[in-house]
Amino acid sequence: MDWDRQPHRGPGSGNIQDLEEVLRRLKNRYDFSKFPRGSILWIGLIVVLILIGFTSYYTVDPQETAVVQRFGKFVRTADAGLHFKIPFGIETVRKVVTGRVLQREYGYRTIEPGIRSRFAEKGYEEESRMLSGDLNVIDLQWTVQYKVRDPMDYLFQVQDVESTLDDISESVMRRIVGNRYVDEVLTVGRASVADMAETEIQEIIDQYKTGLQITMVKLQNANPPDPVKQAFNEVNEAQQEKERMINEAQQVYNQKIPRAKGEARQKITQAEGYALERVNKAQGEVARFSDILTEYEKAPEVTRSRMYLEAFADFNNKIDRLIVIDGSQQNLLPLFDIGKMSTPESAEGKQ
Amino acid sequence: MFSKGIGIIAIVVLVVVGIFAASAFFVVDETKQVVITQLGKPVGDAIKDAGLHFKIPLIQKANYFEKRVMKWDGSPNQIPTKDKKYIWVDTTARWRIKDPLLFLKRVGSTSTALSRLDGIIDSVVRDRVSNNNLEELVRSEGWEEARQKLMEAGLPDLQFLGAFRQTEGDKLIKGREKITREMVADASRLVPEFGIELLDIRIKRINYVESVQEKVFERMISERKRIASQYRSEGEGERAATLGQMDRELAKITSEAFRTSQELRGKADAQATAIYAEAFGKDIEFYEFYRTLDFYKNFNNPKSSFVLTTDADIFKYLKNSAGTSGE
Repeated sequence: MDWDRQPHRGPGSGNIQDLEEVLRRLKNRYDFSKFPRGSILWIGLIVVLILIGFTSYYTVDPQETAVVQRFGKFVRTADAGLHFKIPFGIETVRKVVTGRVLQREYGYRTIEPGIRSRFAEKGYEEESRMLSGDLNVIDLQWTVQYKVRDPMDYLFQVQDVESTLDDISESVMRRIVGNRYVDEVLTVGRASVADMAETEIQEIIDQYKTGLQITMVKLQNANPPDPVKQAFNEVNEAQQEKERMINEAQQVYNQKIPRAKGEARQKITQAEGYALERVNKAQGEVARFSDILTEYEKAPEVTRSRMYLEAFADFNNKIDRLIVIDGSQQNLLPLFDIGKMSTPESAEGKQ
Repeated sequence: MFSKGIGIIAIVVLVVVGIFAASAFFVVDETKQVVITQLGKPVGDAIKDAGLHFKIPLIQKANYFEKRVMKWDGSPNQIPTKDKKYIWVDTTARWRIKDPLLFLKRVGSTSTALSRLDGIIDSVVRDRVSNNNLEELVRSEGWEEARQKLMEAGLPDLQFLGAFRQTEGDKLIKGREKITREMVADASRLVPEFGIELLDIRIKRINYVESVQEKVFERMISERKRIASQYRSEGEGERAATLGQMDRELAKITSEAFRTSQELRGKADAQATAIYAEAFGKDIEFYEFYRTLDFYKNFNNPKSSFVLTTDADIFKYLKNSAGTSGE
């Protein structure tokens, strides 16, 4: 066959001489003859040993798991610590971070983590914009936290696991939001959307054996798109306005009703007062009248005259003037100047 | 000189054997599969087991292919749905090389495969999207249940929108999952000839095209305005109701107070009248006299003038001490 002719080409004409030339030059450059022959061997041996030494161990950090492959075939995994392997590339080691929770962000990126992290949203609108089930548009930002559960699957089953996770996460989130009303996603549905997304993403990445474990899906901002935000705020304002109107009316109510109740009580107590007064007065008057009547009945004539005269005297004290005319006098009135009668100077006669 | 010659030959032999060995053995990684070709012609079955493998040096060649599941990411397409809504559809798919021999023969490289998939998946997606209404693409299985649950939770804003009214068009016929499954089924009929297995097609993003989106925003705004005005008129209604209730109570309170006070006064008046009647009835003539005198006594108008004739009782002694009339 073709291939076993190959070695005979080796000792052919030009090659050897070239090789001799090379060896000679090498010999001249590193003048080994200075060293004893045995020591060259030893040095070579030591160099080889050092090389073996350096390529036959590896260390694994606590958060990592090492996957060892012999000639590309998986043989074992190794946890944190110092480990040995067959050198010269026969066994290769790949380290996968398994002990750490990693995070993917959708619709935003953390620029600078810290106590007050800074986030970038610009340029990621495409990731966050989605349609809800009632065909409205909503901007949703979320985070998926995960860790590598199975380093072998992670390395050997799917190419580019992280971007696969991105695809699945985006498609699952859109499916779930597509099954909800926009109001629900914005308000009460947040937690259930996140829970559903978590189980569903896990299910799908398990089907592909990505070796990932989703630890948490968290909704960050859920907002209506900017042009619509104003209108959504208006709804909130209207809600507040409604509350305000109700409160105002309640306020007027609370102002007027207790006052009216008080006034009503006042009216009733006043009436009660009137009643007491009226009855007492009547009883008093009657008592007085009865007493006088008793006395009057004892001597009617005398008492009558006395009472009359006393009363007239009292009466006379309380009026301006008293004009006495003869009983036979007719048409007397024209004699008086009615207008002047009120002035005391023009008195005809005051008794 | 002889020993030197031996040494050189030994080195040469070693180098040659090394070259042989290097081209005879090859390593297959867990992530790869290999097809051996001899002068361009595939030989034997594909090697799918990782590890060290052997081939004939120099004339046989190991062609490496990816064994893992790979990702296909389409560029977003603008597609009209069945109900003539223009949307951007961004799809992604997962695939793997199932038959490396066929793959080598028909496709050759991953990048060629991706461009083949571009053609196939794009057209399948386009067909399915334009054959379905937008709702079908957005919603998926469980939409009705989700709505049911929401109704139980009760969101006031939604009641305003009449979202709970069951309409004929709201019934989900297929839903996104079924549509994507159909896409996979369609595409899967075309890909096996490339040695490819298509695992899934997923709709990553659906968004309205710019001009439609503006219309949707307008609709959303008008919906919100509707809810807002609903809240406002509710507030006004509640206020009117409260004020009306207040007026009613006010009327009740004041009228009841009026009634009670009048009753009290009337009773007192009646009682007083009864007392008076009982006492004064003993001697009516004297009562009249007594009351008249009371009136005189209590009369109090310092500016008043009185004209009396001498016939008055009080003046009966004015003309003569006998008190007899002049006539």
